Amino acid sequence: MTTPGAMPPPHPDAHDQSRLAGPWIIGGLACLSILLTALFPVPEPEGVRLWTFARLHNDIYQPAVEEWNAAHEMQVQVSVLGIQAIEQRMLSSFLSGTPSAELLEVERRIAARAFAGPVEAVGLVDLTDRLRRDGLLEGMNATSFTPWTSRGRIFGLPHDVHPVMLGYRADIVEAAGIDVSQIETWDDFIRVLSPLMRNPDGGKRTDRFLLNLWETHMDVMEALTLQAGGGIVDQSGVPSLDHPANARVLAHAVAWGRGENRIAADAPYFNASGNRLLAEGFVIASFVPDWMCNLWRKEIPQLGGKVKLMPLPAWERGGRRTSAWGGSMLGIARDAPNTDALYEFAKHLYTSPELSRRLFQEGDIISPLRSFWNDPVYDQPDPYFSGQPRGRLFVSLAQDVPPRYNSAFSGLCLLRLQAATSRLAAYADRTGQDTPESLLPEAQRILTQAQAEMMERVSRNRFFAEDRAGTTEPGAAVPDTAEIVAAEKEAP
Amino acid sequence: MTAAALRARVAPWILLGPFLALFAVFTAYPLVTSIWLSTRQTFGPGYSRSVGLGNFAQLLSDPLFWTALRNTAVYTFGCVCIQIPLSLMLALVLNRPGLRMRAPLRLILFSPAMVGVVFVGMIFSVIFEKRTGLLNQLLHGAFGWDLDFPWLESYVMPALIIATLWQYVGFSMVYFLAALQNVPADLTEAARMDGAGPFRRFLHVVVPAIRPVGTFVVLLSIIGSFQIFELPYILMNGLGGPDNRALTLVMYLYQTGFQTGDLGYASAIGWAMALVLAACAVIQRVVSSGGENA
Repeated sequence: MTTPGAMPPPHPDAHDQSRLAGPWIIGGLACLSILLTALFPVPEPEGVRLWTFARLHNDIYQPAVEEWNAAHEMQVQVSVLGIQAIEQRMLSSFLSGTPSAELLEVERRIAARAFAGPVEAVGLVDLTDRLRRDGLLEGMNATSFTPWTSRGRIFGLPHDVHPVMLGYRADIVEAAGIDVSQIETWDDFIRVLSPLMRNPDGGKRTDRFLLNLWETHMDVMEALTLQAGGGIVDQSGVPSLDHPANARVLAHAVAWGRGENRIAADAPYFNASGNRLLAEGFVIASFVPDWMCNLWRKEIPQLGGKVKLMPLPAWERGGRRTSAWGGSMLGIARDAPNTDALYEFAKHLYTSPELSRRLFQEGDIISPLRSFWNDPVYDQPDPYFSGQPRGRLFVSLAQDVPPRYNSAFSGLCLLRLQAATSRLAAYADRTGQDTPESLLPEAQRILTQAQAEMMERVSRNRFFAEDRAGTTEPGAAVPDTAEIVAAEKEAP
Repeated sequence: MTAAALRARVAPWILLGPFLALFAVFTAYPLVTSIWLSTRQTFGPGYSRSVGLGNFAQLLSDPLFWTALRNTAVYTFGCVCIQIPLSLMLALVLNRPGLRMRAPLRLILFSPAMVGVVFVGMIFSVIFEKRTGLLNQLLHGAFGWDLDFPWLESYVMPALIIATLWQYVGFSMVYFLAALQNVPADLTEAARMDGAGPFRRFLHVVVPAIRPVGTFVVLLSIIGSFQIFELPYILMNGLGGPDNRALTLVMYLYQTGFQTGDLGYASAIGWAMALVLAACAVIQRVVSSGGENA
């Protein structure tokens, strides 16, 4: 048996050799890595890159891209990236100069993040003068420019309009002999459809509600505030949470989900649970922007032939019957070479009638090109929506889509709006107040407090404050999309 | 100096070199830069202006920061106070002599720790759904529970703690199990012969023996809990949840630094969090050393 004490002492050279083998191994591995990296570099993509977040967009764009590539020296390659990957890489590129695509198709919340610094630091090319020169400011739906506008400058070519309608269970409504054409306002909506509420166990638990709306549906809440004339930021990008229209929406939305007269319930958007509840008829009507028709068709096929669309009920008689939900644009990275050619490509892509047609046929998205709105493609009946000419219904509302302004504070404002809605809901539960009238003062108080907190945040951002002061001076030579919108409304 | 002596002197530096280079580039430099950044308002590195201690002053009056800090503290307290006793209890059960199926049980309890946090978030977002969610359905079937019970609205923090416990109780349990298996059998035997009952043996023999591991697990849980980000991010779709009930410090740091581009304010939030963690570590150290002295 060998004991530690009986072991022979190691040879001194053996100790040295084992100690020196380590650095040689590490050094050898390092050299090998360098050699492999040098010999097999990651291939650089050829030509100009366009990043989009939607596979559907990529599929629709391919013919137009191939057509462009056949006729031009500048070759374009479209890649689909996850929406968060685009966000992170775009922001990294803008903030620290890391490489990104020359053309970026981004969603409006992501674009807003590029607007936090000084206006000259926005990482996208200012397209304002080009758009004006080419008549696109008038040729495209004016409100579609608002999400891409910061301090009076436009940084993207709009992709869409995204009017919002109500999708409703026509099979249930019509079986009850109800005619939805009687509905003009939200009050009418509740009055006309309330016979459809169902309490199978004598009122203990309702298993059918009229409206898919809950205090966690923040996109819908924002759309409702826009419809009512409010919104979370104003045209200069400053938070406008305390707008009376926002308070009105919050008071109604919270009241509709409570008390004996409850009409709203939660069938979450974008998940299987919500889809199942829609299919089961748990809610009669749900908010549907044009692009959501595509989702419904793919994810809830069992609703085919059972649903129809109607304009949103207005907040008052003669009021706006639609809103906006979502939106994306094509922007050009500021550091990209040959921005003129990139702009020409962007225009080729987004103003192509053929692409606009495919955008509707394959993606259900209404083009922002006003000249295209008369195209017969929009008049085709849609079997999924019980034979309604879905495109024409959305186009008829496109002109009335409210402006959805955007700024670096939009994301935080949405968080505040969500917090305010939750606080109002908690207040309603605590006090038993469940009518819009009784909740309105508290809604206004909560929103005023949220606005004050946001304004403190805005006042801290010296970049934003200084630019804002500079561009809002009288006579400043910058376009104001709000003015364009107003002019458009006045036009015959 | 002989060649061998020179080699002996240089070799450690060659070995340490890669680590030191990486440490300098990825730890020391960012650490120093973040101190400098915390005194500036920034829009990326290209645009920044000095605000002195303005970012820290702003933190004091920023309700979102305090909400995030409170949420994180509540989450940490909830996790540590439930996770540690529960995992110790499970370890004691698994450490019982003669227990059959010990290895499979250990694997079953530990396996959730091998699941990525993002997957846990996605799994629990389905489990906690109203009406169609597994938890409400099960409870409704068993006790007539309200199908519309709003886990992810009014009870966000309990939901987060439940999800975390599911994932990490087994992880902590393994540490305790290893510590329990190292408690000298002769000590417990001696205590038993001296007439100590199971509770007294646990309190006066087992607990002191596993105290170092317990201290380590508690500190690990506190640090891990303070860094929570992925779970609420997934469960709340990237937002802070209703009334910001799921907004944690790291989520707020991420929103500020990487979504609105104010790396300066985000650095200040990071340093505030570091101070809180350091304070927790000191308190925990004092408490545990007090116990040892006693």
